[in-house]
Amino acid sequence: MHMHKFEKIWLIFGVTALLVFLSVLGVSAFYLGNQPPSCLAVVDPTKVDEHETFKEPGLKKVEGKDWDYELVFVAQAFAYTPGTVEVPLGAKVKVIATSKDVIHGFGVAGTNINMMVEPGYISEIVTTFDKVGEYLVLCNEYCGSGHHLMTSMIKVVE
Amino acid sequence: MAKAELKSETKTEIEDSSSLKGTLVSVFFVGFFIVVLWVGVYFLYLDRF
Ligand SMILES: [Cu+2]
Repeated sequence: MHMHKFEKIWLIFGVTALLVFLSVLGVSAFYLGNQPPSCLAVVDPTKVDEHETFKEPGLKKVEGKDWDYELVFVAQAFAYTPGTVEVPLGAKVKVIATSKDVIHGFGVAGTNINMMVEPGYISEIVTTFDKVGEYLVLCNEYCGSGHHLMTSMIKVVE
Repeated sequence: MAKAELKSETKTEIEDSSSLKGTLVSVFFVGFFIVVLWVGVYFLYLDRF
């Protein structure tokens, strides 16, 4: 089959790009151990209030883990608990969230924190809050008539 | 009345219609635009926590 030289050039470019992206994905998952925020951790959505982690939402200092704090959020139509929380600057935090009813979102505007919060599943993300400011937490999965009112606030303070 | 014959001797250089030079330029214009966007988004990701 005859193929024009230029066609070969852009096909090679395209295939190389594809291989680069697949490699990035593979290294991220298998070498760096990155996982999706919701990764097989489960909770009974009707018993969230009695659950060891979720009975007291908010910021908790933890010892002997890769992170210094755990920030627990419970989402339900149409609010998050806690509604506002302060995090010390530079803290390495594991954000842990679940839903009591329907699927909600957990997006923190201006940061890389953005996950789905599904009933029955625990969503987790580890990050270091290294910039002072007020960060708005938003529900970005349509969850009902009060969806647009569903917010919380993370204040990173010195 | 006979029409004046229009005869121009100018030879216009017409590229071979099978030339893909323009296509190559267009493809890489789009390609590099996407690469620049990707690099930009990646650095935005690194800058945020
Ligand atoms: Cu919601």
